[in-house]
Amino acid sequence: MRVKIVFVLGILLLSTTVSTANPGGKGDDVRSRDCAGSCHASSSSNGVSTATLDIKFPNEVYAGLLIEVQTSVESVDVSSNNLVGMTLLINSDGAKDLPANDGWEVITDPNGGTNNYVEISDSFSSFNIVNRSWTLRAPSNPGNYELYLAVQHGTPEGGVAMSGISDSKSVLVEEVPENLPRLSPDWEPTNTRGLGEETTITLDTLNTESATVELMNGAEVIVIPVVDDQFTIPAAVNPGVVQWRVILEGEGPTQYSPWFRITAQAPAWDVDETALYVQSIALFLLCAGLVIMQRPKNEDDMKDYDNTNHVISTVDTSHDSDSTNAQTPPIPAGGIPEGWTMEQWEYYGHEHLEKLARGEF
Amino acid sequence: MISSGTIHVISTELTIGMFALSGVAFLLCLIQKGPESREAVAHWALLGGLIATPLAILSGINASPGDGIDNPLLANKMLLSMTSAGLAVGVLVRRKLGSSVDTRHAGIGMAAVGLMLTTAGMGGEFSRGETLLFFVPKETVMLFPLWASVVLILLGITILTKSAIEHRS
Repeated sequence: MRVKIVFVLGILLLSTTVSTANPGGKGDDVRSRDCAGSCHASSSSNGVSTATLDIKFPNEVYAGLLIEVQTSVESVDVSSNNLVGMTLLINSDGAKDLPANDGWEVITDPNGGTNNYVEISDSFSSFNIVNRSWTLRAPSNPGNYELYLAVQHGTPEGGVAMSGISDSKSVLVEEVPENLPRLSPDWEPTNTRGLGEETTITLDTLNTESATVELMNGAEVIVIPVVDDQFTIPAAVNPGVVQWRVILEGEGPTQYSPWFRITAQAPAWDVDETALYVQSIALFLLCAGLVIMQRPKNEDDMKDYDNTNHVISTVDTSHDSDSTNAQTPPIPAGGIPEGWTMEQWEYYGHEHLEKLARGEF
Repeated sequence: MISSGTIHVISTELTIGMFALSGVAFLLCLIQKGPESREAVAHWALLGGLIATPLAILSGINASPGDGIDNPLLANKMLLSMTSAGLAVGVLVRRKLGSSVDTRHAGIGMAAVGLMLTTAGMGGEFSRGETLLFFVPKETVMLFPLWASVVLILLGITILTKSAIEHRS
């Protein structure tokens, strides 16, 4: 028996596979590079990514204004879930490397959030290039800035957590021209909306005489009129992303905003938390009560054969009748002995009867 | 500063480790093999796991992204872990009241452990998208109306009170 158990345990142990930490990702978030990777992976299961990484900036980047940045990942084979974690950073030190430390603000990440770390599932391979767009607000102080693109991913064979980081990509952030038509520094786009609802967006512009919005619908671009600085994007029937941009015209050169993305998503799953907590307490109390009230199994078995009460009652009954008889022995034909009281007969009558039986009288 | 995620990992590993130990000991009780200390190990490990359970639940809720319970897996984890905790408390109290460790007792102890391990498996599905438990409900939550839960709470309190009186007498 022991040999069989050891054999089965051995088979189970041999059938295990080595897996890197967080194979399904850790979720989009604001992460430094040292936390964006696989925290639980040991140094022996880490590797350097072969991916070619690049960041492309627009030709002109003005301080405090929105820009669209393109990142690309190419020539990399990843694990079977085709998941790659991408991080925008300002240095490769693994510390104080968040874009916010240099004044960058992530307005819209490729997944529609506002994080510098996103997890992208796409057809990554050594033959493909996967591009993603980020909408950033440039630092408010002009000057030269650097950005890096870092990636984390698995391997087709599994077992190794790969990480890589691009070379430094420099960008010159310029002072904003005085009469440049632009969106207000305080304005921020809407990133998400629910299904089946129109989205009205109010623009806040500076130095702008007229504005036009272009909505990208597949390969087609639809022009939407802007009335009183407002325009409406039609409702989405299915979850997905629509892109739009605004063309601003004024005294200065015409400006094109980045392509903004609005992600239409199904309503988040909702639950009545009070009902959930109350039901949890109910299950706790009910299960505890049901277990405590269980009688031991042996006790139940014995219960079927337990005749204690019957025996006690029988013994009591016979004892009572015997005692009654004992108290009042049968009175012989000649009556109780002369001078005896009935009380004496009850106590000593048996002895008198025995002597009578032996013929002693 | 330690994040809720790290606290959750610590408390979860404490809980699951002790529940797993308890489960093995209850299995030995069930098949009536192994050292005599199996009964003590089963119950003490269960108590240890039970003490760490509330911390695991609370830190798990705090560590989950989003606000509160916004995923069916989290709701099912909550229900399963509380059911398991209820069974575990019942087993411990029953033992404290002098019940012998028969097959039924050991079986209930193993059920409590099994439910807690299932809860942990669902945590893997939630955080990493991977689990060995392919049957875990990912989109369905069996939620009673509030009045039904209140009735169950009253029923549970009644059973507990009745059991306490019976054991005293």
